Amino acid sequence: MIISLRDINKTYPGIVPLHVLKDINLEIRRGELVSIMGASGSGKSTLLNILGILDNYDSGEYHLDGVLIKDLSENRAAELRNRMIGFVFQSFNLINYKNALENVALPLFYQGVSRRKRNALAMEQLERMGLADRAHHLPGELSGGQKQRVAIARALVTNPSIILADEPTGALDSKTSKEVMETFRNLNDEGMTIVIVTHDPGVGAATNRIIRISDGQIGDGNV
Amino acid sequence: MFDIIHEIGQTLRNNRLRTMLTGLAVAWGIFILIMLLGAARGVVNAFQYNFRNDDSNVLQVWGGRTSKPYKGYKDGRWVGLKDGDIETIEHNNSATVSQVTAYASVDTAKIATERDYVAGGFEAVFPDAFDANNHELLYGRRLNQQDMKQARRVMVICDRDARLLFGDASKAVGGTVRSLGLAWTVVGVYTNRWRTQAMVPYTTYKSVTGNNDDVYTLRVHLQGLKTEQDGEEAEQAVRATLATAHEFAPDDPNAVWTWNRFTGYIKQTAAMGYLELAVWVIGIFTLLSGIVGVSNIMFVSVRERTHEIGIRRAIGAKPRNILVQILMESVAITGLFGYIGVFMGMIVLEVLKRGIGDNDALRNPTVDLNIAINVTIALIVAGCLAGLFPALKAIKVKPVEALRDE
Repeated sequence: MIISLRDINKTYPGIVPLHVLKDINLEIRRGELVSIMGASGSGKSTLLNILGILDNYDSGEYHLDGVLIKDLSENRAAELRNRMIGFVFQSFNLINYKNALENVALPLFYQGVSRRKRNALAMEQLERMGLADRAHHLPGELSGGQKQRVAIARALVTNPSIILADEPTGALDSKTSKEVMETFRNLNDEGMTIVIVTHDPGVGAATNRIIRISDGQIGDGNV
Repeated sequence: MFDIIHEIGQTLRNNRLRTMLTGLAVAWGIFILIMLLGAARGVVNAFQYNFRNDDSNVLQVWGGRTSKPYKGYKDGRWVGLKDGDIETIEHNNSATVSQVTAYASVDTAKIATERDYVAGGFEAVFPDAFDANNHELLYGRRLNQQDMKQARRVMVICDRDARLLFGDASKAVGGTVRSLGLAWTVVGVYTNRWRTQAMVPYTTYKSVTGNNDDVYTLRVHLQGLKTEQDGEEAEQAVRATLATAHEFAPDDPNAVWTWNRFTGYIKQTAAMGYLELAVWVIGIFTLLSGIVGVSNIMFVSVRERTHEIGIRRAIGAKPRNILVQILMESVAITGLFGYIGVFMGMIVLEVLKRGIGDNDALRNPTVDLNIAINVTIALIVAGCLAGLFPALKAIKVKPVEALRDE
């Protein structure tokens, strides 16, 4: 199991505490291409945050690639995110004053990889995404699909255990969406584990397994 | 390290206008600081220049009139310094006195050549008088120990007199002048802004005036003194020696007059120290307004870049990475523009130096390496301070921010 969630609970405190995740149990095997679907407010964003070690949970156990992810320090969490998870975001989240190559190389910068080596590795990933000729373009000079492929290259550059994609096609037209999904499918064929959070049924249909979440619980028969 | 500098360069270039405006505040603060330090240094340099001939350890003594009755003498008695005082003071105060010199003046003597004459008289001096009066030698040589030993009839005259007496100052050396009915050989010509008196060896003067042993001024060279108190004690000791020799009350302030250049020097040195300190304080406060500006702008920057910081955190930046980046940005802004301020300040000081030139109040108003190093340290500390609070705010940004849509 690359991802294993056991009885995960998460409550946002407040005057009326909000119990957003209720006893979530979930297992994802290495090499799967999975989508997590749910309406807004269903708790899927919170689930994504926990899967991505961006947020804590209250009870239960989360193992990522054999590592227990619980009560981590900020530094340890940053390190695990850096090495184990490749993020792909809806709005690409590229740094707009850095060119494509620098954006892709940035996670390696935080690993302390030398400039020469990280540029070589970043270039490799851009080539893989078919963007070698755009390496020195700023994000503003790229199309939406190109930006998202740069973001995917950035997610891949550290050779992570999983790719976590948050509405990766949300900002793209249907044709480009299809291309991006094709990219994910190709990566999956090469053995990459990919988890896509979406509310787009078309995206869900393009994955091998759909996990539905509603009202903080995982729907029956989906696990 | 190069990577961090590259990172910072990129963010600063990305916010060019903001960087410029902030930098301007810092550059201005540093500019003012450099100007103030340069001006203060100019004053200090002028002060030190005026004491340049190591004249600062001299106690000058003149004769006076007693103001107290003592040992059967009534008050109002004239106390004249005598030749013998030289040896008495040297002998009785050997620990604090290295040498005593004297000079006497012959105001009425005419100095004449066939061409012309001057009526200013001359001074009978020890060789140290040349430097003590800040004379500058133009032609020939100074008076020396051989002149003293052999009581040579030689004279050093000022350039103005040399022109009058010989037509051309350069022709005076080797020439003969007449004074007190005797022939003197001119051995040197000096120039000085204030003084014009001709000088002859003290011993020669004694020999040509017979048994006159009156001394106009004693110059007591003090040694081994550190504090103002040392200076005052040495002065009291010399005064006590003279009181015994001339039989006046040791605590009579008017019997002999003294000018203790050493204590004056110590006091002025302390005053110069305070001046420099005050300038630093003013400068630092000026710089402070620049720092507040940088700090403000870094806050704005952190707020604007919350999303970017979130992205960096999400893809693996540790809080420490973010902290260092913000601090370094702040140091880079203050450092870079601080040095522009230093540079501009130095240019203006240089222009000032050329324009005004050296005078008694201001001399060489420039800043040296020492000040440059201090300013550098001040800049780095200032940059760190300015960036500290924004940086602490920046590390509170959660990586979840990356997921929020702008």
